[in-house]
Amino acid sequence: MKKIIRSGLIAGALLFILCYGGLYLGIRLFPALFMDYNNPLFNSDGNRDVFFYMHAFIISFALSWFWDRFKGLFHGHFILRGLEFGFVYAMVSLLPVMWITFSSLDITFFMVLSWFLYGFFQAVVAGTLFAKLNP
Amino acid sequence: MSPSSRSGFLFRPTLLLLFILLSSLVFKTGHTDPVKWILTKECTLKVNGSTNINKFSCIVPEYTQPDTLICYKDNKGGAIKITGSMALDVQKFDCKHAIMTNDLRKTLKAKVYPKIIIKFLNLSRYPDVCNREEAIKGAVTIELAGIVKRLEVDYKYTMNGNGNLKLIGTKQVNFSDFNISPPRKLGGMIKTNNELNVEFVLNIKTLN
Repeated sequence: MKKIIRSGLIAGALLFILCYGGLYLGIRLFPALFMDYNNPLFNSDGNRDVFFYMHAFIISFALSWFWDRFKGLFHGHFILRGLEFGFVYAMVSLLPVMWITFSSLDITFFMVLSWFLYGFFQAVVAGTLFAKLNP
Repeated sequence: MSPSSRSGFLFRPTLLLLFILLSSLVFKTGHTDPVKWILTKECTLKVNGSTNINKFSCIVPEYTQPDTLICYKDNKGGAIKITGSMALDVQKFDCKHAIMTNDLRKTLKAKVYPKIIIKFLNLSRYPDVCNREEAIKGAVTIELAGIVKRLEVDYKYTMNGNGNLKLIGTKQVNFSDFNISPPRKLGGMIKTNNELNVEFVLNIKTLN
């Protein structure tokens, strides 16, 4: 349990910096890609900002628990283990969720694809870190 | 001549003089010519704003509910009083981008407050038909999202070839003036700036 919480916290901090830093830079460097977020589907009054920024820790703790349960299935070099872990997460969790999201919400394919790749990247980073911290 | 008929004889010219004096005063100070201004459907309302990633320009392209403004024209060329208003549908805003259009309507609380009401109060002077392009000022109240705000507007006017008066009012307002929070997305990473430039074009047919 201690290992799950510790690696979850470290992965959360790392993902927080990488993901929100990347998002911040992405919005400034490629503003056109983010224009579709001016959409009433997205919360606009700021009352859920805390939840938005907590996401890095929520996914990290969830993945940390998942890693602890199934780490025996991932073999090889720690980077390879991280990549495979990310791929499994993307296939099992992201793909079905993105599928239903795209089919039911008025959002673009590019937006859904970017979320899929973003989630995959998060899981690979977290998996690689877990392979080192909780082998 | 009895004393009473003598006083009546003196009293009549005094009354006549008083009447002439008073009536001349009344005509000099209180004389106004009400002029009817018919707002035609070519009237528009444009709102220009920006976010930290893009600019937007949204327009109510026509005014389908012609209204009349009454202008109390002062002979002395001073400020003139206006009565009347125009009510525009928030749902008719078009930002040339369906998603942004929906977002603006939601921000302006179109479902709860479907109208923007511009009430005209005065103009610094009556538009001079001889000057083809001039700048004047005037006061209006704008009712948006349930909040009424009095604003001083800069107007430019031109006389059209068909004799219609085109009055273009511009004013910078803030979302916060109307208790509206500028939209922010993705935890505030995409932010709409508080300032909005409002421009309304009144196409006026004058009736005396």
